[in-house]
Amino acid sequence: MSQGENRRRIGERLIVLQVAVIVAFATLGICFWVLQIVQHDKYEEMAENNHQRTLALRAPRGVLFDRTGKILVENRHSFTISILREHSKDLERTAQLLSQVAGLDLAQVQQTIERHRGEPSYRPIVVVEDATLAQVAAISARRLDFELPDVRVEEVPTRKYPTDALAAHLFGYVGQASESQLGDGIAQGDIVGQQGIERIYNKILMGEDGAKRVVVNSVGREISTLEEIPPTEGRRVQLTIDYDLQKAAEAGFRHAGFNGAALIMDPRNGEVLTYTSLPSYDPNDFAAGIDRATWASLNSDKLRPLQNRVIQGRYSPGSTFKIVVATAALEEGLVTPDHRITCNGGANFFGRYYRCHLKGGHGSVDMRHAMEKSCNVYFYTLGNMLGVDRIYKWAEKLGMAGKTGIDLPNEQESLIPNTEWKLKRTGERWYPGETISVSIGQGQVSVTPAALAVMISTVANGGTRVTPHVIKAVDEGDGKGWAPSPVPAVADKVAFKPDTLTALRDGLWMVVNAAGTGRRALIPGRDVSGKTGTAQVISNEGRARARGTDRDLRDHGWFVFFAPRDNPEIAGVIFGEHNEHGYLGAPIAKHVIETYFAKKEGKPLPLLPEQTPPSSTDEDPDSPPALPPVIVADNQVLPPAVVPAIATQ
Amino acid sequence: MFERRLYYHVDWAMLGAVIALCLMGLVQIYSATGGSSLYVTQMYGIAIGLVALVICLAIDYRSLADKSHFIYLGILALLVFVLFFGVVRGGSRRWIDFGALNLQPSEFAKAAVALVLAKFFGESRRGAVVPSDLIIAGAITFVPFLVIYQQPDLGTAATLLPILFIVAFAAGMPMRIFGILAVIALLAAPIAWKFALKDYQKERVSTFLDPEADARGAGYQQLQARITTGSGGPWGKGFQQGTQGQLRFLPVAHNDFIFSAFAEEHGFAGVFVALGLYLFVILRSIESARLAKDRLGAYLVLGVLASFTFQVLYNIAMSAGLAPVKGLTLPLMSYGGSSMIATLAGFGLILNVRMRRFTN
Repeated sequence: MSQGENRRRIGERLIVLQVAVIVAFATLGICFWVLQIVQHDKYEEMAENNHQRTLALRAPRGVLFDRTGKILVENRHSFTISILREHSKDLERTAQLLSQVAGLDLAQVQQTIERHRGEPSYRPIVVVEDATLAQVAAISARRLDFELPDVRVEEVPTRKYPTDALAAHLFGYVGQASESQLGDGIAQGDIVGQQGIERIYNKILMGEDGAKRVVVNSVGREISTLEEIPPTEGRRVQLTIDYDLQKAAEAGFRHAGFNGAALIMDPRNGEVLTYTSLPSYDPNDFAAGIDRATWASLNSDKLRPLQNRVIQGRYSPGSTFKIVVATAALEEGLVTPDHRITCNGGANFFGRYYRCHLKGGHGSVDMRHAMEKSCNVYFYTLGNMLGVDRIYKWAEKLGMAGKTGIDLPNEQESLIPNTEWKLKRTGERWYPGETISVSIGQGQVSVTPAALAVMISTVANGGTRVTPHVIKAVDEGDGKGWAPSPVPAVADKVAFKPDTLTALRDGLWMVVNAAGTGRRALIPGRDVSGKTGTAQVISNEGRARARGTDRDLRDHGWFVFFAPRDNPEIAGVIFGEHNEHGYLGAPIAKHVIETYFAKKEGKPLPLLPEQTPPSSTDEDPDSPPALPPVIVADNQVLPPAVVPAIATQ
Repeated sequence: MFERRLYYHVDWAMLGAVIALCLMGLVQIYSATGGSSLYVTQMYGIAIGLVALVICLAIDYRSLADKSHFIYLGILALLVFVLFFGVVRGGSRRWIDFGALNLQPSEFAKAAVALVLAKFFGESRRGAVVPSDLIIAGAITFVPFLVIYQQPDLGTAATLLPILFIVAFAAGMPMRIFGILAVIALLAAPIAWKFALKDYQKERVSTFLDPEADARGAGYQQLQARITTGSGGPWGKGFQQGTQGQLRFLPVAHNDFIFSAFAEEHGFAGVFVALGLYLFVILRSIESARLAKDRLGAYLVLGVLASFTFQVLYNIAMSAGLAPVKGLTLPLMSYGGSSMIATLAGFGLILNVRMRRFTN
């Protein structure tokens, strides 16, 4: 091959190489064009997702104050530990390391991850709520070593409730928003009120979460902050509750040694001063997410600590209902306060004999003394004269039918029977015999403690049915200061005849201050007035049948009260669960009333006596008489219409 | 030895382009390592490299070719030495520790192989390449290939192959032999897959074919490279403003992935300039091969250029997430003293051939 030919061939092959190189570079150029110009937006976004993170800054919920400005519910800082899946390279390894470092159960961590697997990966999975400082320290150290870049420790404000589960049912509790609560400013993962004030006033209390956009490096460490929108704290709310009275009531129950409920309010405007339901739960358990075991034990507890007895428990009012019957009879003009009826220890109505609790009878009594002694025959007679519909009418006017309208969730309706109701419900007409038991608060009558509190308040203030409420003022925010909450409209107003009012007040005053059943609430000079009652849990026949089961069949006791007799400032109800005697609630009322006046007059608050009160052997006039079966017109015999006053939720 | 008139025949334009690329790399290293002293080390590398360039320029390439078998054997000895006494870093034994400087002999093997092959084909009296030539040339190439492969450093070893092919191609290897080799390669691929490749290498290849399948594992680097490049946009994020490189989402932004980081901070405009400079250098070198006085010179230029071009194309494709991730640096820009010195020395040879095109 000649030299020239050789050179020509090399030249040809060099051209091939030149073309190949140009094509290769052109291809690269086009690829970069596509990546950097055509698909730029997509990769720009991916780069931003890489290094920018938006962290939610949780807004603290609004602080709750009592009526004197004392903090009741506030916020503390707690730490949550969560996994950011979108930054996880190996979720399994993270789970293992995390559980090892933080001392968690691996299976449980894996379960938690599994539960949230379906959610979008940018949403952090919370593994530990309310982590201990030791856990936080251990994890932070590992994060610095780049071992757990996908684990986030976050400081979040958490609700802090008073110790001793004070007023737990009033405050309610918070928890993660459920599916049905989403929307209207509530997003997945938000903490919202689930019960009580937290729930009803959630919108006011919740505040607005802020956000922080930060730049992080490839191991998740924050490098700088791009933007920060601070959270807006929930609005502060002042309650009508008085901390000292609330404490006094709960201490009173503990001292007395039974569970129950109390609603004590200012009868002039319906401001609730004390709201107690026992046994209780600790809302702090819910604040940072309740664990399954605690939740399960709260739910399976036979004493039902989650039940808000004040507005969700329904019981027969017993002798406290005599106040309603007396009011009805006086206002309907059937009798005067001086109307006398002779009690011989029982009376016949519709062919049956209805007993009074006093075997020998009270003799001839007027209305005042009938109240004082809680004479059944007197009120059987009045009830018979009134008929059930007029009793219903006045019970409703006094606030015992339906709901009280208190600003708390899940209130149950109180039930007062009438002819229409019975016809609708059973298709049967009302038998006059049934009225007799209704007139002493037995039969179908079934009311919440709240309803009785409203009733006694209406009597106390002379006929104005106020709506109980728990909010006094709300901080408007933005420096506008406190704005008083509007007082809920008065539900009903009847001007009692002066005679009626005097007679009622006299009778109730005598219950406490004379020879009545409420002497344990007596405070010299305070003119406490009240009425005891017993709510039968089960009929006498039912009791025989239920013997041997583990149901608690002891009666409940009531004490409704107000003070002072003239121009009352405080009124309410003490419900003692299975405490058998209404008068056992009287010392609790006494303690609260004493506290109220001591506080008002700037005196030292009273202390409860050291020793527990001796279990009573007093004769209890409220003990429900054994009611005879009702004879109806066509000679059918009905069983005694005693509703087992089982607490209904 | 260095006659004054030769000075006028130095390809200043290409030298300028080469130095420009070195400086762009230096700036990018400074940006990516944010204040660490790596850029100073790189400056030393460039300085020493320029000295090496001048030396390779000064000595007539024909004299060098005459001594090429010594150079070749010397490098081979160093490679074997490294295999037993080298410094281990990142799982491979590639470096000789000289205290302040770690030398990577495999980088110099390229120039040595180019020299030997150029001499072998250039001095062949036959007009065409016959199979026996190919076997000898193959042996020359595969001995250092296998030694480097043992370090292990498949990437650098692979850069020796283009030298063989391009020089043989220019020397007139019949196209049908290329065809046969291609068929053999295709048939050998599954066997190589099964026996020759290590697990992490297989993973890289399969990840390349489907990066989304493993976006957190082996596909991570590839995806990040693409994000880095793509997010640069037309004009880039600016010097030291690249989030991907600066925040370490992109691994080794000063080394293997320097071009991604460069593309992020300087955008398509910067990429266009850099690609243009590389293309200019390569085309200018091919031109030098054409102008070479003898076949030896032409083959030498092409041999040196072959591994350089292969590495540039592969690394840039990898930077855009278009090729499997391989520990292959970008010549002239990536951080690394040995690579810089060897590359500049190689350009010394290319300039040498062009400069002496009129001498006898």
